[in-house]
Amino acid sequence: MDQQQAPRFFIHGPSPFVRLIVFSTLSLALMASDSKFSYLTPVRDALTVALQPLQVVANSPFVLYKNIGDYFTAQQALRNELYRLKKQAIFQSIQVQAMQSLKGENDQLRTLMQASKVSSQQSRLAEIMHTGRDPFSHKVIVNIGAENHVLAGQAVVDGAGVIGQVTRVFPYSSEVTLLTDKTLSIPIQVERNALRAISFGHGRDNVVNLPYLPANVDIQKGDKLVTSGIDGIYPAGLAVAMVDSVKTNVSSPFAQIIAKPMAGIQNHRQVLILLSDTENLVAKDIQQVLSADAQKQSDLKQKSEKGNDAKP
Amino acid sequence: MPNLNRKHVYLSLVTALLLQLLPFSGILLQIKPDFLLLVLLFWLLRAPNICNIGVAWTAGILMDLVTGDVFGQNALAYAITAFLAVMYQRRLILFTVLQQSVYVLLLLFVNQVILLLLKSFSGSEYFGWTYFVPSLTGIMLWYAVLHSRVSVHIMARQQ
Repeated sequence: MDQQQAPRFFIHGPSPFVRLIVFSTLSLALMASDSKFSYLTPVRDALTVALQPLQVVANSPFVLYKNIGDYFTAQQALRNELYRLKKQAIFQSIQVQAMQSLKGENDQLRTLMQASKVSSQQSRLAEIMHTGRDPFSHKVIVNIGAENHVLAGQAVVDGAGVIGQVTRVFPYSSEVTLLTDKTLSIPIQVERNALRAISFGHGRDNVVNLPYLPANVDIQKGDKLVTSGIDGIYPAGLAVAMVDSVKTNVSSPFAQIIAKPMAGIQNHRQVLILLSDTENLVAKDIQQVLSADAQKQSDLKQKSEKGNDAKP
Repeated sequence: MPNLNRKHVYLSLVTALLLQLLPFSGILLQIKPDFLLLVLLFWLLRAPNICNIGVAWTAGILMDLVTGDVFGQNALAYAITAFLAVMYQRRLILFTVLQQSVYVLLLLFVNQVILLLLKSFSGSEYFGWTYFVPSLTGIMLWYAVLHSRVSVHIMARQQ
């Protein structure tokens, strides 16, 4: 009986070429639907959650290494750090007191001028789990996600300044695009002369650049760039970058300005996610646009009705 | 054809995926070889009845998920590379280790070129020859493993 079966050697199934065609078509279809229509987001989220244990296992040796390193920190180092932190706390508590009185004064002045109050923003501490694995993009994965009310679009900062923006949210983790990524741009202001501009990630070398500024623009080396706050995502006044070089080229009408990020994008583990109401902002924008459209259309209707009346 | 155990093949692929997931950064990230593709090629050449183009494609989908790329990028690259490997599989297993390594190096390059093309469609920028360093470290790893005959012991244990 066994001899009548064909030997395993000859069992093939579809030929490699057919398989190649089938799978290439499948991946092309997937690529198109993922990049253009985003039908697959729920599928993707579910699969990512399923792969979470693998991620945890892969991260565990590094977490263990770090924990062991923390455990064996010398007492002297701990003492030094404690001393430094205490000193910092005293200085900062003085600053906080001054700031509170200023804030009260500012609020009062604003109410006097009948301007809207600047609301303080809530934030949440997140820990960077690992950096993105794609050498093309500058992204990190942090350990809190949709379960902790993180939304795509929220700003991410550390003690020294802006780090980037949340771009994708999974149930238990989220992806933060760093400000050096090519796709991220931040509205900024030069602190010295309040000049507004937009900073774009450079994509390489961990710097940002300011394109589209005229060659005679008033920006010097050492200028501090802070967020301007006009986008409604980043609160105003957060440090973004320090201008590193300003070059002008005779053949180009624009200045080439390169700035170094202030935040330690490469070397921190803890970051703050600012829980701004981006969803509400977007909803408000959409509502405004819709109402403006409706207004326009009703205007047009009235006009055309008038035109029709005039004709006969 | 050796009667390889399915379980071992899949287990080694999962291990390779784990290696791929290790949170490298900086210079290590730049020279890290594509462990998953190397293991895939190893089995594509030795056990094409278990590890075929479909398995390579599935592995690519998993890579897309963990890297957060556009769905199907790595899958397409892996499927084409796997096809090129399977096409000459009968001849390749008769080659010496060195000859095989040359062909595998070519396959690693092909994989990276396809990925580069797909990524430049979505707006990424090519950043010099260092992009191809993982292929070189990959082939070094491949040659070291095959030359040290570790793989022979592994295969012998599985039969």
